[in-house]
Amino acid sequence: MTKPAPNTSEKYDLGFANWVYENVNGGDKLGLCMQCGVCSGSCPIGEQMDHGPRKLFMMIRAGMKDEVLSSNTMWNCTSCYRCVVRCPRSVPVTYILQDLAAKSVELGYAKPNENSKFSNSFWWSAKTFGRTDERLVTAKYYFSFGVVEGVKRGLDNLKIAWGMIKTGRMHLTMPHQIKDKAGLKAILAKAAEIEERESKS
Amino acid sequence: MSEKKKFTYYPGCSSQGSALHLDESLRAIAPSLDIELEDIEDWNCCGASVGHIGGGQLPNLSLTGRNLAKAQERGKQDVVTGCAACYLNTHAGNEKIKNDVNVRAQVNEALSAADMEYDEDLQVRHMCEVIVNDVGLDKVREKVTNPLTGLKVAGYVGCQTVRPFAGTDGGGNYDTYDNPEFLDNFAEACGAEAVEYNPKTSCCGGSVAVMSPDRTLHLIKTIVEDAVEAGADVIATPCPLCQTNVEMYQDAINKKYGTDFHIPVMFYSQLMAVAFGLDGEKDAALHRNTIRSEKLEKMAK
Amino acid sequence: MSDRKPGVYLCKGCGIGEAVDVGELEKLPASEFKIGTCKTHDALCSDEGVALIKADIDGGDINQAIIGACSHRVMTDKFSFNGTPVIRANLREQVAWSQPAGEEDTQMLAADQVRMAMAQASKTDAPSSSAVQELVQTVMIVGGGITGLTAALEAAKSGHKALLVERSDKLGGWANKWSKRMPHLPPYRGVEENHVGKLIAEVEAHGDITVMTDTMITKTSGAPGKFEVTMAHGGSDKIEMIGAIVVATGWRPYDASKLTHLGYGASPDIVTGVELEDMLGDGKLMRKSDGQKEAKYIAFIQCAGSRDPDHLPYCSSVCCGVSIKQSLQIKRENPDASCYVIFDELRTPGTAEEFYREAQEAGVIFMKGKVKSVGGDMSVVYEDDLLGQEVPLNGLDMIVLATGMVPNSTNPDTEAAEEEMNKYLISDINPAAGVSVAGYTGDTPDPVKRPEESIPPGGSILNLQYRQGPHIPILADGFSDSHYICFPYETRRTGIYTCGPVRRPMDMAESADDAAGAVLKAIQAIRSAGEGASVHPRTGDLSFPKIGHDICTKCRRCTVECPFGAIDEEEDGKPVINESRCRRCGTCMGACPVRTISFDNYSPSMVGDMIKAIDVPDEFEEKPRIIIFACENDAYPALDMAGINRQQWSAYVRVIPVRCLGSVTMLWVSTALESGFDGIMLMGCKSGDDYQCHFIKGSGIAKERMSKVGATLKSMALEEERVQMEEVSIADSHSVAKVINKFAATIGDMDPNPFKGF
Repeated sequence: MTKPAPNTSEKYDLGFANWVYENVNGGDKLGLCMQCGVCSGSCPIGEQMDHGPRKLFMMIRAGMKDEVLSSNTMWNCTSCYRCVVRCPRSVPVTYILQDLAAKSVELGYAKPNENSKFSNSFWWSAKTFGRTDERLVTAKYYFSFGVVEGVKRGLDNLKIAWGMIKTGRMHLTMPHQIKDKAGLKAILAKAAEIEERESKS
Repeated sequence: MSEKKKFTYYPGCSSQGSALHLDESLRAIAPSLDIELEDIEDWNCCGASVGHIGGGQLPNLSLTGRNLAKAQERGKQDVVTGCAACYLNTHAGNEKIKNDVNVRAQVNEALSAADMEYDEDLQVRHMCEVIVNDVGLDKVREKVTNPLTGLKVAGYVGCQTVRPFAGTDGGGNYDTYDNPEFLDNFAEACGAEAVEYNPKTSCCGGSVAVMSPDRTLHLIKTIVEDAVEAGADVIATPCPLCQTNVEMYQDAINKKYGTDFHIPVMFYSQLMAVAFGLDGEKDAALHRNTIRSEKLEKMAK
Repeated sequence: MSDRKPGVYLCKGCGIGEAVDVGELEKLPASEFKIGTCKTHDALCSDEGVALIKADIDGGDINQAIIGACSHRVMTDKFSFNGTPVIRANLREQVAWSQPAGEEDTQMLAADQVRMAMAQASKTDAPSSSAVQELVQTVMIVGGGITGLTAALEAAKSGHKALLVERSDKLGGWANKWSKRMPHLPPYRGVEENHVGKLIAEVEAHGDITVMTDTMITKTSGAPGKFEVTMAHGGSDKIEMIGAIVVATGWRPYDASKLTHLGYGASPDIVTGVELEDMLGDGKLMRKSDGQKEAKYIAFIQCAGSRDPDHLPYCSSVCCGVSIKQSLQIKRENPDASCYVIFDELRTPGTAEEFYREAQEAGVIFMKGKVKSVGGDMSVVYEDDLLGQEVPLNGLDMIVLATGMVPNSTNPDTEAAEEEMNKYLISDINPAAGVSVAGYTGDTPDPVKRPEESIPPGGSILNLQYRQGPHIPILADGFSDSHYICFPYETRRTGIYTCGPVRRPMDMAESADDAAGAVLKAIQAIRSAGEGASVHPRTGDLSFPKIGHDICTKCRRCTVECPFGAIDEEEDGKPVINESRCRRCGTCMGACPVRTISFDNYSPSMVGDMIKAIDVPDEFEEKPRIIIFACENDAYPALDMAGINRQQWSAYVRVIPVRCLGSVTMLWVSTALESGFDGIMLMGCKSGDDYQCHFIKGSGIAKERMSKVGATLKSMALEEERVQMEEVSIADSHSVAKVINKFAATIGDMDPNPFKGF
């Protein structure tokens, strides 16, 4: 768990920016952003974001916590890392966006959306079986929208699934899994426990 | 590299499903390249680009920790993977663990719950980098017995194979981020012709394409369209997710944009398997592509 | 001179032998110029080729070497024979490399190149300079701030006596007020200690430096190596002889009382950056208003009164660094303090980028936008460019206005005569009168009228006793003259160098570098004067203009037009050239209506003979001839480079290099027209306020003179388009051939010059 982010009453209250610097993966480099905009210009689907990464970073500095954490910016990151390799100040933009996404879920800002549902399905498989079983992740993801929507999405992609099955790239038997599921479960539980402990120290 | 070199191999989850043909063809060409692959025992998922959202940063990193602890049981040889996402996560996680004693302590504390520990300083590498830096193009050329003469290939590298590590010391410094050449070189070493192709490292949408194709179909359209316009017979790629996305969504693109795309998307390792004179089905796994390349299948032995 | 014994040496190397028939050229010296010695060689610049020439000189066969080979700009070390005049005919860059090989027109061009060189030789003597003189070696430095202190030390360390003159009662200048300084050492990250105290101690302890505080300069006359400077100190005058002068009078902050729109004066807690320096000692920063509360929320407003047409139109380049420094100092003292730097464009030149990074890492917040209002209630409203919205900042403890630098080009303690200041309201670089030039394609530049406030009020610093007035020329925006495009520190007053913020805004580290550079220039000026040689751009040139006083009409044109104030007038109007102030550009020569000013190796008659030496075919041959007077500083090298790049241009063109377009006399234009040339082009540097002329005013003056050529042409019943002027910079080598060809096409469309054959 992460420390709760402070509320900011006015613009350029640095409380939120400092929280991001300390708690978000890669956030310690955010102060180096010089607002050149190379990240936003390099983004493959930046036009679908509420704010490009450049602006989002300025909003963090300006203390606009609610707007930042509820924006769709990080959910549109495809993890292509073009911004990371191009940033003249070596700000790890992708990492920051990825973790801001996690933080917005954790702090209750992100309404359940496609990405969070997908992420949850993905983690469920990784945690339960030790591997991502593409069939199960996809099915769980589709049905996380409800049975009706799930069936619809499933049907939409039936042709794809059928293609995969025909070529042997999707199986219909038991899920792929590791042998030592108990060990993995213990490791992940312990890791979550350590993270919780560290956030309080 | 004249002697055989041993690597610990991390196949990754896609090797069990969508990218079965990458795994099969890599295992098939490895002996020709004097590479010996030893699987990580009971390997697990790497967490990809979304694991931390569902699980949190440290649990996600512990997935890599467990894999590395398991890899270390194989010895000190380098770990290699053919999957872009597995490489990115495992390499990045490994560097983080190696460079930060606190992170290593936390990961090891978590691993201790299953009586495991990662105390080595292993190297995690991408198969393409190994082929460029260790094997060398000369060796690839040398092994070609069935040159792919006349096959026009659009080399689509994608993102995570080269970004953000291809130009770093840890990543082997083997190519550039925006205009990598290794894939074209692979194709030409196999006797094929690499066509002039701009979207080499454009993004296919990654996992966003899986969860919400509508947001990213236009990206894949460019990737396919430019290859077709350049006269390519096939698109070649090193990345499992790119292969699936670019192959599977052609129907949806045709439906949405009224186009008629139908271009095969192959792994570079499938091309090599055919060029090395290996079996078209058993080794090159050509039957696993949903859009099949008749031209390549005819060339296969 | 009757004892000229020229010899002609033709080279066949580098493609010359393939492009032209050198054997034919070899016949010219004897047949047309009665020159007996003419030899050819496969590579004249080889040891063997050089030895060939040297043997003839040593044997007394020749005393002038005419070399037909590469451009005179190259191989100067090979073709140098202990002062024996060397005249070069350019057969390589401007013939073999820029014309088709083996053609008749190429051969004719090569022949004319050799003819011109022979004509040139017939009027060339080795320059007889004044003898080596014993001159004063002392460097005087005006201004005792960081720049002046550094200059004095540098001069003394170079073995010269230094006289440091300061108008106030102590050394150190503004730096005395600074708590800390911006970084000037790697890794350029941290705030550094102010070193001015150490610098002052070092200067005061140095035996070769004399310091005079409370001193004003009332009169400066003379020339490099022999300036006579009168100083007022303690109610009496003191006269010193000085070798060269370094002006380092620095700057003063812009008057913040003019910045009421930014809240200055509305609250004691709205201060300027300079005022903040006083408050940043050791310990906490307390608010000025009560002296009790610690200032924790501080906004810096950049460009306060800078880059603003109503105040200072320019960027002072240091204010951003200063605000970064000050905010870092505040953050170091109290990490919880919030520093907001509101900027339009943050300018962090060079290593200041590292310093900017340091401040970002320390948590200083940089906000891009335009300030809308500043309130006495300690609020700032600004339009944030990066967020795209208006942002209010309330409850600030302090607002800092980062004000800019005003150069001390004048002495604010004294007053200037009004008519004196009025002179500076019109730029003397840009001719006041509108200029129209035949063939000039751009808009005619308007004379530059400066805003009155850009001229710093006050009297002259040096009180020069020059015909051109008491000041070092003051450029637009009020900074002192410095030809920084090519030569920093250079002023139009030879032997007087400006450095530090008086010539452009700069910080302490840059000022120190500037000081060292200016001192080197000052020393060079003293030594060159001692040898009777020019300082650059014609460094080492021993020729200087000689006036035929028997013919001189005392028209004063030379004294007015000399860009360097090198020519004084005696009471009866007789011009007197101060040799060591002169830069040898020949603008006086171009100005003289009776052509009685000339150099030993450059004169109106010499170029006139070169023009006449060119073979002009009659009108029935349909081979027009065009003459180009090309400035040696930029245009001629651009042509050479075009040749090196194998660009081709019209073979009908003949190029004569000139020292500066300012030296081009209208006599040459009329000679060329009378000789049957169909077109004439002057090719030289850009003039105007952003001039690139190496002699500052030369090309501008040429433009002005050319504006009157139209009437001459009309009187000869010739088209105005026959004479054109083109601005060509050294970077134009890719386009210069096109410029020539376009002109050649224009001329080709006209009827031939009717004077052909007369």
